[in-house]
Amino acid sequence: MPRLGWLLGRLLQIVPTFLLIGIAVFVLARLLPGDAVSAMLGDRASDETINRLTAQLGLNRSLGAQLLAFLSAAVQGDFGASLSRHVPVLRLVAEALPVTLSLVAIATVLALAIALPLAFIAALNANRWPDIAIRAVFQVGLSSPVFYIGLILLTVFAGWLGWFPVGGYGETFGEHLYHLFLPGLTLSLSFAAVVMRNLRAAVLAVLTAEYVDFARAKGLARSVVLLRHVLRNALIATVTLVGLHVGALLGGAVITETVFAVPGVGRLMIDSIFARDYPVIQALTLVLAVLVSLAFLVTDFVQMWLDPRVGR
Amino acid sequence: MPRLSPALLLGAVLLGIVLLAAAVPDWLAPYDPLAFDFTALSAAPSAIHPFGTDQFGRDILSRTIHAARIDLQIALFCMVFPLLIGGLIGLLVGWYGGWIDAVFGRLVDLVVTFPFLVLVIFFVAVLGPGLVNVYIAVACVGWVPYAKLMRAEVLVQRQSDYVAAGRVLGYAMPRILLRHILPNACRPVLVYAVTDMALAILLGSSLGYLGLGAQPPTAEWGVLIADGKNFFTTAPWISLFPGVAIVLAGIGFSLTGDGLADFLAVKK
Amino acid sequence: MTASLTSTRRGLFGLAAGFAALSLADTAHAAAKRGGKLIYGRYADSLFLDPVLNDANVDIWVINSVYDTLLLPTADGLGVQEGLASKWAFSDGGKTLTLTVRPGVKFSDGSALKITDVKWSLDRARDPKAGAWNDMIASIDAVEVAGPDSIVLKLKTPDPTILAALATFNTGIMSQALFEATPGATPDDKAKAFAEKPVGTGPFMLVEWKRNQVMRLARNPHYWRMAEDGKPLPYVDELEFQIIPDDNTRILKLKAGELHGSEFIPLARVKELQADANLRMELWPSTKVTYLSMMVKPTLADGKPNPLSNQKVRQALNYAVNKDAVIAITTLGLGKPMRSFMSSTTPLFDGPAPLYPYDLAKAKALLAEAGFSGGFEVSCMTVAGNQDNLNNLTTVQQMWAAIGVKLKIEQMDNPSLTKKYRAEDFQMRTAAWTNDISDPGQITSYFAYGPNIHALHSGWDDKRLNEVFLASQQETDPAKRRVQYQEIQKIYADAATIVPLYETPYTVAWRKNVSGFVQIPLGNNYFVGAAIG
Repeated sequence: MPRLGWLLGRLLQIVPTFLLIGIAVFVLARLLPGDAVSAMLGDRASDETINRLTAQLGLNRSLGAQLLAFLSAAVQGDFGASLSRHVPVLRLVAEALPVTLSLVAIATVLALAIALPLAFIAALNANRWPDIAIRAVFQVGLSSPVFYIGLILLTVFAGWLGWFPVGGYGETFGEHLYHLFLPGLTLSLSFAAVVMRNLRAAVLAVLTAEYVDFARAKGLARSVVLLRHVLRNALIATVTLVGLHVGALLGGAVITETVFAVPGVGRLMIDSIFARDYPVIQALTLVLAVLVSLAFLVTDFVQMWLDPRVGR
Repeated sequence: MPRLSPALLLGAVLLGIVLLAAAVPDWLAPYDPLAFDFTALSAAPSAIHPFGTDQFGRDILSRTIHAARIDLQIALFCMVFPLLIGGLIGLLVGWYGGWIDAVFGRLVDLVVTFPFLVLVIFFVAVLGPGLVNVYIAVACVGWVPYAKLMRAEVLVQRQSDYVAAGRVLGYAMPRILLRHILPNACRPVLVYAVTDMALAILLGSSLGYLGLGAQPPTAEWGVLIADGKNFFTTAPWISLFPGVAIVLAGIGFSLTGDGLADFLAVKK
Repeated sequence: MTASLTSTRRGLFGLAAGFAALSLADTAHAAAKRGGKLIYGRYADSLFLDPVLNDANVDIWVINSVYDTLLLPTADGLGVQEGLASKWAFSDGGKTLTLTVRPGVKFSDGSALKITDVKWSLDRARDPKAGAWNDMIASIDAVEVAGPDSIVLKLKTPDPTILAALATFNTGIMSQALFEATPGATPDDKAKAFAEKPVGTGPFMLVEWKRNQVMRLARNPHYWRMAEDGKPLPYVDELEFQIIPDDNTRILKLKAGELHGSEFIPLARVKELQADANLRMELWPSTKVTYLSMMVKPTLADGKPNPLSNQKVRQALNYAVNKDAVIAITTLGLGKPMRSFMSSTTPLFDGPAPLYPYDLAKAKALLAEAGFSGGFEVSCMTVAGNQDNLNNLTTVQQMWAAIGVKLKIEQMDNPSLTKKYRAEDFQMRTAAWTNDISDPGQITSYFAYGPNIHALHSGWDDKRLNEVFLASQQETDPAKRRVQYQEIQKIYADAATIVPLYETPYTVAWRKNVSGFVQIPLGNNYFVGAAIG
């Protein structure tokens, strides 16, 4: 099956990329000035304590030796233990990753839920007041920093009105949804703006295309035309966007998690960078890279599947 | 016939205000942005302090105006360096192709699989907080879209008739690039650059908020918002107005970028 | 004069009766309601709950909820009272300390505390190869079991700090059997595994820990301490720590009633919370001192001459800072001026007057005498994003401009700053200090005593002070030790190697229906006496 071949080919392409990423991150992390051990022990620890811990953690070996150790362990799935928290890195990542993925998923769903209908309304009313109003509102959303919107939403809807919990993550699935609504909304706004704009343009383009006139000439109702032809193309465009924006969403998640105290990988990454917790930084970076690559892969695949014109 | 849409005009006006504030802050700002005023700590907006004051009595309006220069500078440098580096790389890769293109593809894959903000934070953590290091970090990471744009344009232009004619006539590569390909490729790059500046302001202010960007006592919009976040319930004006400034500046750049795209008939 | 070596709980520290008798659980009123889950907001998660191997306040301040020490601090933090030990006495000229461990204590899993556990824990704590805190009990030569409930510490020399050390977190008593039964190839591996499910004799036990998110503790059903009503402590059934790094978010949650209490309320928000009818703002005296530390070596790391090596220059810089103004701006009046390099809550603190009160004329004169009337440039490093440090530096920057000194602020992240500090590659830095032990020896050894870390890595080394300090570390007569510390503090103040800024309290806010929380000046959080309702 040609598609399977294509898939395998792509997966194979990714492997050397990951290797390069792993090495790059490894080296970069160790270039960070100030080392993990004195960051952990604070400014009062004696030199002997620091040297002892450094040797214990194997950080006094040559860069090459450490890299080799890291790679050989990583291939077996062992990413070591967090330097500051003394627990296996994968466990920290496994606890934090679902949180961020949920946040990004909720943000995507909200973004689509907001953008899809509004894009159609805007396109169908092109350049009249509903269109202008919608585009104006989204323009503001696109131009606002994530932390600013988050701060406002948190203070107003959680702090003053009490409609939502003030940050955090909750325990049950239902609670997760409830706690992640506001941060998800915050994260979704700039993405929604991008989706809206692209979708509107795509719908407009399709509406004015020839084959629509042709179909209408055949007597099909406008709504049927819209649904069958427009939707399919619109979907393709949107899927592409989602895939391409996973990186931006993950980046935005970092700030959102800070404001809303959501225990995801964004926070973990920042804390680890500041604590020089190399094993965590390395593992998280690889995980993020894998996620984004997979997103691209899925996007390309869905694009190919939905649109037979896109060949390889 | 290029259209001057109302959106473009609005964008230009907003940008004009920001540029004015950045160019001559001392004329526009009623107070010294650094001066403490113990008689008016955390004062609400009033006739004497239209945007209120912060916890040190510094006038928010003056600080917001002065911050325009820093944020505009951030927008400029975070666009110019990636543009120059990416543009050059894209030009060369697009023209020569071959294995250079393959390596380029690999490198792009590498950079693009990272969330931009995380990578920038990473670099700034390595180099240390401060605006210069932010520019270096952004240059290392942000050149990719410009390179891709430039490469795509070069690939298209390579096939065109006048380039073929130039080659037949024996023109050297640099001449073809400069006289024919570059001017055409400029338009989409320019449009992207303007919208990129809006994104740069958001990035700069996010880094300022995290404590990695501009340093005190310099005013920068993100830093001003972070200053006020602890007073959001008691003195919301400290964070509110700088935030509005970011939004307006961002809208200015976005609308101008969109309008420019329409004006130059460039695909968005 | 009787040596107060046969000590009762008050002997060595000579405190007013009222304070010393105050226990960590008495502040809850007698009719405290039992039960419920206390939810407390913390700004950072703990890292490693091992008494000996931990490194950070985020562990130290809560470890007492799980582990007990032989002695417990009094509620004012200045003295000691009974802990796992019910009696103690010195003999042999102060070189032998005999402690009687109370009978019938059980660990939270039901196993009995054995005297050998005490010996094992103390030996582990004083192992020079384990952890960073062993030097606090370095004076112990040997630990001997003298009976089923009696333990004897043989000291190398008389040690005035040993009682305080036995109330400090690293001497928390662990179960040898449980530790050794924990899976792990090396003691360090065992320690890591054990620290994830620690078992101690403290009032609470850990039941769940989702890193960076929440830590849940339940009451220890076997806890030995009784409340006033004769039933065992603690009052609450569960203790939940929610980790919320953003100050603003934490406060919003508290106001919304989702938290019962929150630590680290920013000073700027204290007045606002004091005005809130649903909340009670608690300002606990702390050992925290905030200061600017200066390099006093004649040249800096890059070879440039260092104006700060001149004592008159340092004194001038001190006189040029209006500390009351800094206190008003950064701490909004909640701080107080420092009268010594150690906090006023440290035993043997001596502070006859605030240090270097504002005097611009004197500052200019001293600067001129030193030959720097033209001013100079100086750089100060600080941790990026710390608002209080930035406020302090910005204010000081403005004040020093008045004497021609240009202060350059260098922000960097903590590991970079720590590295430069340890390498002595800095000119000035912002800093704060809290004691880890209720004795002035620790802070003095870091700030003033040359041989340890060159007096805060500044290069300052005073022969006389070093002599007096070494003598004081073996002086068991409190009166004589007090005199020694008066001299130490005077010498240090005159040398002006730091710019002391202020002392600030710990700021904890609670909903009105919660009472009984105690935070001692060392920072330890005590929830054992807390009650809801």
